Amino acid sequence: MLALSLTRLIAQRFRLVSTSISVFIGIAFLAGSMVLIDTLGASFDELATDINEGVDVVVRSSELVESGFAQVRGQLDESVLATVEGIDGVAEAQPNIEGYAQLVDAQGEAVGNPGQGAPTIGVNWSDSDVLNQVTVAEGQAPRKPDEVVIDRYTAEANGFAVGDTVTVLLKVPPEEFTITGIGTFGESDSLMGASLVMFDFTTAQRVLGSPGMISSVSVAAVPGVSQEELRDRITAQLPIRTEALTGADSVAELQGDISEALSFFNTFMTIFALIALFVAAFIIYNTFSILVAQRTKETALLRALGAGRRQVIGSVLFEAVLMGIIASAAGIVAGIGVAELLKRLLGTVGLEIPGSNVVFEASTAYNALIAGVAITAVSAVIPALRASRTSPLAALREASVDDSALSRSRMVFGFLTLAVCGAMLMAGLFADISNRLMFVGLGAAGIFIGVAAWGPIVARPFARIVGAPLARLRGLPGELAQENGMRNPRRTATTAAALMIGVGLVSAISIFAASTTRTVDKIIDDTVVGDLVIESGSQGFGGLSPVLAEEVSALPEVALASGVRIALTEVDGEGQTLLAFETVDMGDLVDVGIVAGDPATLGVDGLAVLDTEAEDRGWALGSEVTLDFVQTGRQAFEVGLIYTEDALVGPMFISNDAYEANSTEIFDMSVYVLANDSYTTDQFRTAVEAAAAPYPNAEVMDLGELKASISAQVDQMLTLVYALLALAVIIALIGIANTIALSTVERTREIGLLRAVGMTRPQLRASVRWESFLIALLGTTMGLTLGLFFGWSMVEALRDEGITELAIPLPQIGVVAVLAAGAGVIASLRPAAKAARLPILDAVASG
Amino acid sequence: MAEATTQSQLTEEMEELSVSSPDSGASVLAEAVARVEGVTKVYGAGATKVTALDDVTVEFQRGQMTAIMGPSGSGKSTLLHCLAGLDTVTSGRIVVADADISTMSDKELTVLRRDRIGFVFQSFNLIPTLTAERNITLQRRLGRHGVDSDWFDKVVDILEIRERLDHRPSELSGGQQQRVAVARALISKPEMIIADEPTGNLDQASGREVLSFLRRAVNEYGQTVVIVTHDAAAASYADRVIFLADGQVVGELQHPTTAQIFERLQELEK
Repeated sequence: MLALSLTRLIAQRFRLVSTSISVFIGIAFLAGSMVLIDTLGASFDELATDINEGVDVVVRSSELVESGFAQVRGQLDESVLATVEGIDGVAEAQPNIEGYAQLVDAQGEAVGNPGQGAPTIGVNWSDSDVLNQVTVAEGQAPRKPDEVVIDRYTAEANGFAVGDTVTVLLKVPPEEFTITGIGTFGESDSLMGASLVMFDFTTAQRVLGSPGMISSVSVAAVPGVSQEELRDRITAQLPIRTEALTGADSVAELQGDISEALSFFNTFMTIFALIALFVAAFIIYNTFSILVAQRTKETALLRALGAGRRQVIGSVLFEAVLMGIIASAAGIVAGIGVAELLKRLLGTVGLEIPGSNVVFEASTAYNALIAGVAITAVSAVIPALRASRTSPLAALREASVDDSALSRSRMVFGFLTLAVCGAMLMAGLFADISNRLMFVGLGAAGIFIGVAAWGPIVARPFARIVGAPLARLRGLPGELAQENGMRNPRRTATTAAALMIGVGLVSAISIFAASTTRTVDKIIDDTVVGDLVIESGSQGFGGLSPVLAEEVSALPEVALASGVRIALTEVDGEGQTLLAFETVDMGDLVDVGIVAGDPATLGVDGLAVLDTEAEDRGWALGSEVTLDFVQTGRQAFEVGLIYTEDALVGPMFISNDAYEANSTEIFDMSVYVLANDSYTTDQFRTAVEAAAAPYPNAEVMDLGELKASISAQVDQMLTLVYALLALAVIIALIGIANTIALSTVERTREIGLLRAVGMTRPQLRASVRWESFLIALLGTTMGLTLGLFFGWSMVEALRDEGITELAIPLPQIGVVAVLAAGAGVIASLRPAAKAARLPILDAVASG
Repeated sequence: MAEATTQSQLTEEMEELSVSSPDSGASVLAEAVARVEGVTKVYGAGATKVTALDDVTVEFQRGQMTAIMGPSGSGKSTLLHCLAGLDTVTSGRIVVADADISTMSDKELTVLRRDRIGFVFQSFNLIPTLTAERNITLQRRLGRHGVDSDWFDKVVDILEIRERLDHRPSELSGGQQQRVAVARALISKPEMIIADEPTGNLDQASGREVLSFLRRAVNEYGQTVVIVTHDAAAASYADRVIFLADGQVVGELQHPTTAQIFERLQELEK
């Protein structure tokens, strides 16, 4: 029996190749992401080690606040440096200052995008040979307050050279510096694409940090003193809210942070690989179903000759496993190429990965192999069982058209799957449980399977109704397409189901994105009273120097301007992101629905709280609250304002005065500006733009432009998701081509007859094309229906998270529908051409 | 050598027969619907080269039923396929309704088959997804031609398939399927109907029915029919029987009886 499987696999290799491609693509992507993640991990780990080379102990603030992905650590008083230097066993100690510094290129544009891409960092230059890992490759180190060294990657990418004068955006207003040197990091030109500007110590303290403050101290031990020993000696001498850790621990901590960030990326990529494999499973199931049906006579003969049911099952599964192994092995090899491609792609967006080699772990090979073989084997189980039920007498019967829509078991299976997975989806979306994402994922996958199981019920009426105008308009080729679409509802439905998944996900995501955009629009309409917004694009790291808001405020054309800042603090021991405003006249800029209190009186110790948040925490106007800041520690605040609209400002906010009293990192994320009515809109805008001109990272927008820019950001994310889902759609299209090709083989005699009695080649091709179109249209229709449902559920589920508006982007969904159905036609071109080329006499005679 | 002698003797005998046939005058006057002129058909090359037709010249008269007979491998099916525009010739020419089909493109041949020729194959004559009625009108609709409803009614009634028009092929008996195929062949009033072993898969009674329908088409509506068969009884329905052996025409009979045909075949197969 195994020999038979092998022989068949070889005989039908061309049919199976196209099926294998679907597994191959999925596995190539899966293995590619694994290799990429491992490569990134190894590179980052190496970099973390390299930049800490020679560092035996790190001294830093022990104050850390984390909220979500953001974290902020306190600064140290620079007197710590002298304390550390005085400790026995310290060979060298180097103060470190880190902060926001963004270069401006020759065209006046800010370099890099710290809000979305790699960070733009400024640090102090160190002369220590042991502790400084930056080498000046050209020129020399910064010696004067107006001199800087920048990294070679940024220099080359933006055409900076030694001797150039460059403007740098900082927490102070932009300043000009002379580039005296170009730096490299060991073998690498770049710190993973981050731009780095190095100042002398005093300048760094002024433009990056705060007077008298430093970020950390790096310490080198004298020979013979271990890291641990030195750490303990230093710890004994440190002031409060300061800690020391060994260089090795510092590296491990950095690597841990990196691997945490990578695991998020890994999950993201794996989800799309799994979606692709899920679609591939439909293709495999369908192909094996068709092959098993086509081999009915052969199987029956084997059964008649004494082959047992288990042998029949074994032979089909063996074939599937063998195919899975071959396709997965090829996919794994291709995955290395995919990783290389993705790596270069990351390089072009500034995330340069040092080292030319990709890292291929053995685990990648066996994980991908197991995934590929498992998906192939599992998908072939039902066809194998069906084959084993072939009666020996089937060898004697004329094969008739199997147009049965649903078996009882399929109906029950579909119903149960829909019920269970529908409940899982709903639980994942609406119930208060852990692992919500997993519930949503499995629920959605199950609903796709359930709908696919029930698909045949829809397939016949669909083909009849949609095919009717086709038959009328396209004549006989259209009529044959309609009939062929109806003749095997199960095959039609399963093929369509593969496309349904991609279309369903794409339309659900586009509904989600459109709803997000519309919600943001509504928030801006409802909440923002001001006329203009100056945006920095920063998401908390760096931003606009607060001087800009002061300058804009002082303009006669401007009635009022307020910087908006993000602060991280701890409330009741939990990290909390909160915004800060110029609250004195904030009612003129934003409408947050004040219930009680007066924003003007918040001062340095007033906290504004959302009504429901206050209720949850048992706070009322006048309640005493403690906020913990990294820089100033625990501070007593009083609830001074209760409001109802959190969409723009979040659950809590403070005044800019309170922010400045508790933070050294003072940047405005954006500035809200209200016009002075005595001037025209043009005069007002021209004045604000002129004030913002020296700040290339500042973008002046009216409310309409603000909405457009947010929607552009959403669209950018959407494009990435679409690109990844395209994989699933491509696999589905391969599936359509595959089914059409297999059906054509089955209908060779019929095609021969049609050609003999006078069907022209274009007519035959049209007939195949329209059949494929019907299948694609069915998949698209089912996909859109499910997509609408999923999109609606997602928006409903996130209503509490602030997505309050449901929007269905009809033009986008229309484009998706047209593309998917059109691609179905393209998928059929090759099998159609092949069918048209069949030699008539051979076809008629085949039997 | 001996075989060649036998064949030439046979040919002479047959020519005598045809001259003595009472209808021979009529057949001379009849106009030819199709002419096969010096046609040779060679398959393959080198060692595997097979000459299926060897310089065959023959005419098919309008309003006649002609049967082509011969042992397996005699080239009778090849001749039929070439005549129908399903296969191309190696040399020589075939003229159907005054058009030289040996120089036609695939598209021209397709249109010729669709509009000028009716087909009845041995089996698998019908598209399984279409009803009998839609199978009958298939060729007309392929060409986007209308269907003459009076003629349709007449054909359906003659073939006694009116009750079956809404059925699909799988719901029809073998005889009914062949009658539907004959109806399809008749519906476009083609220049000629080409029937390749039309009764090969049928029981005797059904086979006779199909043949008598074809005969009626010739007698009552002046249809031209060319059939390939190896069954002497089937060939006896024809006005004329052409015998092929080794790719050559080795004789013909006019209005033969089953016994006469059988006798010739016996001699050919020796």
